[in-house]
Amino acid sequence: MRVKVKPLECTGCALCELACGYHWDEAFSLISSSIMLYRAEEKKDYMGVIVKTEEDLFLGKPEGPEAVKLGELQQRGAGSGGGASAKPILIREACDLCESAGLEPQCVAICPQNALYLE
Amino acid sequence: MDAMYYGDVLLVDLSTGKTEQVPFDEADEAGPGLAAGLALYEKYSGDDPLVFGSGLFTGTPVPGACLGFVLGKSPLTGEAAVSPLSMYAGAEMKLSGFSAVVVRGSSAKPVYLWLHDGVADVLDASGLKGMDTWQTTDAIRKEMGESLIQVISIGPAGEATRDLAAYSINYWGSGDSSALGSVMGAKNLKAVALRGLGMLDAEEPGEFYEKALELMSAAPAERGFKAVCSGLGGDDVDAWLEPLVHRYRSCFACPTACSTFVKYNEAPDVMSPDGVEEPGMLVISAAAAFWLWQGGWGAEAAGRAMESMAREGIDLVRGARELSASPLSDPGEIASAVGGLEGTMEAGWPAGEQVSYDAFGPWVPPLAASEKWLAANRAGYVLGVCPALLLAGGVDVDSLLGLCGPAAGVELDASGIESLFT
Ligand code: SF4
Ligand code: SF4
Ligand code: SF4
Repeated sequence: MRVKVKPLECTGCALCELACGYHWDEAFSLISSSIMLYRAEEKKDYMGVIVKTEEDLFLGKPEGPEAVKLGELQQRGAGSGGGASAKPILIREACDLCESAGLEPQCVAICPQNALYLE
Repeated sequence: MDAMYYGDVLLVDLSTGKTEQVPFDEADEAGPGLAAGLALYEKYSGDDPLVFGSGLFTGTPVPGACLGFVLGKSPLTGEAAVSPLSMYAGAEMKLSGFSAVVVRGSSAKPVYLWLHDGVADVLDASGLKGMDTWQTTDAIRKEMGESLIQVISIGPAGEATRDLAAYSINYWGSGDSSALGSVMGAKNLKAVALRGLGMLDAEEPGEFYEKALELMSAAPAERGFKAVCSGLGGDDVDAWLEPLVHRYRSCFACPTACSTFVKYNEAPDVMSPDGVEEPGMLVISAAAAFWLWQGGWGAEAAGRAMESMAREGIDLVRGARELSASPLSDPGEIASAVGGLEGTMEAGWPAGEQVSYDAFGPWVPPLAASEKWLAANRAGYVLGVCPALLLAGGVDVDSLLGLCGPAAGVELDASGIESLFT
């Protein structure tokens, strides 16, 4: 079971980041979540959602989602939905489906646009 | 700063370039958000203050909790006026470690304020002088090597302290209809740049989070302007923009996505980032879109006009109102019409229409101010929740007030909010 993304449903509210950060820290921030919005190319309105797991990164890119093994992302250019702006997630905790907090997956629960699902 | 409520306040003295954090002992008495902002405005009224602030819930998972504000003396009225910091700017300001910043005096040379990690720097902006807001945003992000920095900047209109100047949030303009962009220009404050990498605590985190999640689950997740201004032309504006729509966008923590990205320099359905650098415009102002639609503009031309106004740092609403009388389609003509906007209070408002300004901006029929509208603005700016979402019924004030205790140990009711403004 893992969190997957329907990228074109996402509207960029960052609530998944807040909810995930809350399950780790019991506080609100954009720095500790295992799920992250990719919003670095603002002028192009290019936006996706990245989820870090123990093995890979799920890249919810608007042109089509894909999973990439950890370590591969740094070699990619920004244009492929990864690049420098996605690097912070590499040093964060991997998604534990919120089990450590005894909660159901919070990002899925809070996403108002139903852009996240479990599979 | 890790609390949701004000503790210290950052004072920025532009005449010396110095910053200091000082206690704000009156915070409890004043109340949160805009109420605290108004108290700070009064306290430093001798220094021509421009107050940047955020609300009680700004930056948390409460529906619509994106809202921060800029408060200063509007050149249009000579009275205190407030304009919104929406999208990510309000939340990132609070997460940068500053929930209120008072900018005093003016600088001899152009400067910008850089807020991050609880640190505030006044930096030289001589190299940014004359740049439009798109160039300014790009230049600051490039200089800092960080593309997620939020940039509240002024363009040529603000630098020239024109009455129609507005600050822009990144590339997309703002809801500043009170010429606070002109106030920034008079202070030689080219921009405020923010990056929010901090953390916000709640008094009772579990209770607060659970209640916020409940409100979020109950809030409708709608898209387009009909969600927030059905009955004021929102439905028609959506249908008009539809052929150009790339995606709908939410502000931070908003279940609704009223902002609409339209592409006119490449096909709207291009999803890869490999296309043109500047494919279009994020339409954030329902009112600006409404005026252009009503004036008979084509959607593409309207997108170009809003882009042009945002670049120049011109109030989208007053600019669109003035432009609406003469629809254009040629990009060059649109740019020159935007350059020629008067943007005075009188220009563009047809004779006989009642223009009313209050602390939240100018209003004319059919977008007339009302008691309901004022109440939503007051509650929204105190709590840090988008007034448009409140007005549209996406979340109600009474439910939000129930979160004040678990958020920050503050007890407030609706009459309490009203009393903060008397
Ligand atoms: S399931 Fe939980 S841990 Fe995993 S990304 Fe979502 S919120 Fe974070
Ligand atoms: S909560 Fe949903 S809509 Fe909001 S940013 Fe995350 S995936 Fe996108
Ligand atoms: S209703 Fe629209 S303007 Fe208000 S916070 Fe939501 S997306 Fe932003």
